[in-house]
Amino acid sequence: MNGLTSQQRKLTYLGGILVLLIPIIALGLPSDGKDGTGGKLAQLRARYELGEADLGDVDPSSATMNLVLLGMRGVAVNMLYADFEKQKNAKMWAEMEATTKSIVRLQPHFEKVWEMNGWNLAYNTSAEWDAVPDRYGWVKKGGKFMIEGVKRNRKSTHLQYHVGVIYQKKIGTADESTYFRKYFLHDPDPKFKDGVDHEFNPEELDNYLVAKKEYRKACDIEDTEHKPQHITDRSLFRSTPARCQFDYAAVLHKDGKFGEETQIAWQEALSDWTTKYGQEVFTVPIGELGSGLKFDIRMEMTKDEIKREVASPDDVVHMIDIVEKYRKMVNYYYWRTRGKCEAEQVTSESHRNFYMANQAYKNQDFIKARDFAFAGMKGFDDILKRSEFLDLRSEETLVEECLLGVTVWKDIYRLSQEEPPADYPLKWLVNEYQGNEQLNKNVMKTFKRMYLDINK
Amino acid sequence: MSFDAQPIVFSEALIAWLVTAGGLLLLILGVSFLSALSQGNSGLKMFSSEAGGVLSDLISLSPRRIWALSKLTFIEAYRRKALAVFVVFALLFMFAGWFMGGGDGDITNDQVKVYVSFVLRAISWLTLPMALVLSSFGIPEDIRVRSLHTVVTKPARRLEIVIGRVLGFALIGTLVLSVMSVVGWIWIVREIPAKAQEMLVCRVPVKGDLTFIDRNGVPAEKGINTGDIVDFRSYIEGATKARAIWTFSGVGENSLDAEGNLNLENQFFAFRSYKGDMNHQLLYDFQFRNPEKKISFTTNPMEMGEFRGVRNKISRKLERPGDEKTYDLIKDFVTSKGTLTVEVSCIDREQYLGMARPDLFIRLPDRSFAAGYFKAVLGIELMMILVILISVCSSTFLKGPIAALLTFVLLILGGEDSHKFMDQLVTGRSKENIEVLDQQVKQLEAAYVEAMKMPDGDQKEAVVQAAKKQLQINRNKLQTIKDGFKGGGFFESIYRIYTHMNDTTELPEGNPAMTIMVKVDDRLTGFLWLCKQIIPRLATFNNMSEYVANGFDVPWDSALLPCVLITLGYLLPCILLGYFALRVRELESK
Repeated sequence: MNGLTSQQRKLTYLGGILVLLIPIIALGLPSDGKDGTGGKLAQLRARYELGEADLGDVDPSSATMNLVLLGMRGVAVNMLYADFEKQKNAKMWAEMEATTKSIVRLQPHFEKVWEMNGWNLAYNTSAEWDAVPDRYGWVKKGGKFMIEGVKRNRKSTHLQYHVGVIYQKKIGTADESTYFRKYFLHDPDPKFKDGVDHEFNPEELDNYLVAKKEYRKACDIEDTEHKPQHITDRSLFRSTPARCQFDYAAVLHKDGKFGEETQIAWQEALSDWTTKYGQEVFTVPIGELGSGLKFDIRMEMTKDEIKREVASPDDVVHMIDIVEKYRKMVNYYYWRTRGKCEAEQVTSESHRNFYMANQAYKNQDFIKARDFAFAGMKGFDDILKRSEFLDLRSEETLVEECLLGVTVWKDIYRLSQEEPPADYPLKWLVNEYQGNEQLNKNVMKTFKRMYLDINK
Repeated sequence: MSFDAQPIVFSEALIAWLVTAGGLLLLILGVSFLSALSQGNSGLKMFSSEAGGVLSDLISLSPRRIWALSKLTFIEAYRRKALAVFVVFALLFMFAGWFMGGGDGDITNDQVKVYVSFVLRAISWLTLPMALVLSSFGIPEDIRVRSLHTVVTKPARRLEIVIGRVLGFALIGTLVLSVMSVVGWIWIVREIPAKAQEMLVCRVPVKGDLTFIDRNGVPAEKGINTGDIVDFRSYIEGATKARAIWTFSGVGENSLDAEGNLNLENQFFAFRSYKGDMNHQLLYDFQFRNPEKKISFTTNPMEMGEFRGVRNKISRKLERPGDEKTYDLIKDFVTSKGTLTVEVSCIDREQYLGMARPDLFIRLPDRSFAAGYFKAVLGIELMMILVILISVCSSTFLKGPIAALLTFVLLILGGEDSHKFMDQLVTGRSKENIEVLDQQVKQLEAAYVEAMKMPDGDQKEAVVQAAKKQLQINRNKLQTIKDGFKGGGFFESIYRIYTHMNDTTELPEGNPAMTIMVKVDDRLTGFLWLCKQIIPRLATFNNMSEYVANGFDVPWDSALLPCVLITLGYLLPCILLGYFALRVRELESK
């Protein structure tokens, strides 16, 4: 026992409390939103961007949930994942979706959680449904889920990239892509009255153009937030917006659109590829591993420019070699040539002629079909013989299109019991690919499908 | 629905209860008698006087005193701010929309399911802990503050105290549950937009028995598994002889709707082995067969609606364009015993149609949503009474927190997963069992296939059903044993872990220590069996919510009755055990 009275002790405690309050206030005073305000902790949080609001939109419900769980978030998430697995295996999709939403409320800034669950909805769950409109519904749910993830994690290059993947690959290249692309502009859900779901496609664009924008945003996050991505090599990652423009232009051909719109699309693709992507700077290591030597390269870099960058002749050779390797990795020459070729009027017309030939063949207007096919053959014969487009001779999609045109042209002669002329445009291409069984099989498969269409 | 609850057989349930409860009673009496015997004459006198006291307490029960004690318990619980649970409930419902999704007026069947599940789950998660805490701390607190002394010195019997406590807690729990369920019901009805209100229904299904025929036309017990992890549904191959055959009993005029149609509702699953025609979902048809008259009628192909369900209105008059012959569904295809046989086949070649027993049913006129909803609430009420019984019983011999913990652990162990685990542990401990059962299953499989090949007639159906039931029982037993056999019992597991012995490796033969170890393990497992019987199986209660969430009425024989029986089954043993414990307890020890 000390000699202090009860009152004295109370006053001492009060003094102690007041003294301790001073450092607590100095450290923990909240910021009023402006830079440099608030206590030490608030300032450090602002400097290192650790605040909840710095990462993305704050979801009040998830903040509340985390508070209520008092540090038991991990346990709750584990239990939810166990439920998720059971529901997925039992195909209880509604419950699984609800569980997914609860999981992300508990882990709003865990990028992989958004990525995995968005993927699960758009790819795995979608494939489980039999009706294509239902499948599209789940693709949308997965896409919207990832978009929500991006809102919560504005600085995530990865998540933003995966949003692009849903638009480009899931909608553009899935088995059901013909339907999905149609639904993207004419939603099958009756509540959209054959219009667009603006939550998924706010600007009513083609899926490839939306994908291009999303990829561009991912590149911007990488630039402005200095958040490197670890999905693929940077040179491939940065090529995605331009590649989407190529996909868009190519799909216009597939849809039978050969007018100005298509030509502009190809020109834009070429421009994106050469003037935007081609001028992007990539820092690559040079020399022995660990030497620390690095150089900045560009895909559109000429030898003179390389010589200006490095002094020693050895380094020049080395750097030329590296630039070549990078170009090969992203197939740079091919896309540049393809872009240049497709942007030409004659290419567009030749595509159109082949397309018209196929349509006329399907409609049993054989004379027209033969004329269109021949015009297309002549056009491509001319293009593929030009020295600047020689690379395209190995482009299988284009070769298949040409060989299909030739097959249609020959078959019309067969139908009218005539012999086709011995010499014809693209004969050299037919001979060149005679040994490629797979390619010829593909051509015959497409041709038979057309033939079956006639019989329907 | 991802489960298929079978109707409970009352006689079997009663026998199982008598064995367990009787066994426990005998055990308690035996132990008491032996301990009395060990103290000689004085012990025996004490035993007989106690037994007499118990009988006298039982005879002189007073409903008036029980009611008074119940009221006291009710007021006590009220004063302990039990009703504060409403605040949490209100908060939960205020912010429930955050977690529900939808909200843009576009409500699907799936969302309705989530809404209903949420409400029922929220109610049970709030009322059960409340009941658990209140009832676990009631009696220990009375002992601590010595208020029980004033009660026991009055003419109130200790049995009446236990019953009064249970009744009082049940009353306050019921009050809370009633308010919550009504608010919950109003919340669901208000949250679902007017245009989607039709989704709030209680379908009344008549389920049949399901058998299969494989692609070669040979009877099979199941279809094909196309790679699902959960082996609940099996698939039939399209454009082959594969069929799924449902036999519905008790079919008659009353199975038809007002327009005279038979509503056959299905929720078949699809599995495509190749892309096929993507513009259409897979096709199936029904074939009605009458084995007595040897006639059949096949419907036109119909498109399935995966995960949504399809309701096929089958007209009583069965006819097909271009075919003069017409049939009457009831007169021509319902047998003299009132059964209707429906064969389902998949039309698309190399595509598969998946199904389980609950996936095709005759839909009778719907009941109101409230009917099913309040039945599910009754399920929660029964579970709450069960929790109160266990808590009050354990609080008579344990302190409050320990009693609460014990009840909580029993609730956790009552889950389906832990019961499955216990099933694995307590059944089949020797390899011989597996071999014998394996043989039996093979014989039963052959018998079942033979029964399916029998000519159609009166006998066939009964023989097939009997063979199928026996086969299923033995298969389940075998599977459980196979699952549980791995690694052996308690000591054997320790031995295997210590010696790094794989669970499939045989124990060394001829070693007496091993034999003793296995025998001891057997006894321990026997004790575990008894423990398992004491732990309630709560999945039965939870199934009720699942029925309502999926838009079905709660069936009496496979959902409501089992829950009532489980609760009743615990009523007598818990009250008696609680009374016994309170009677022998020294109230001075806090």
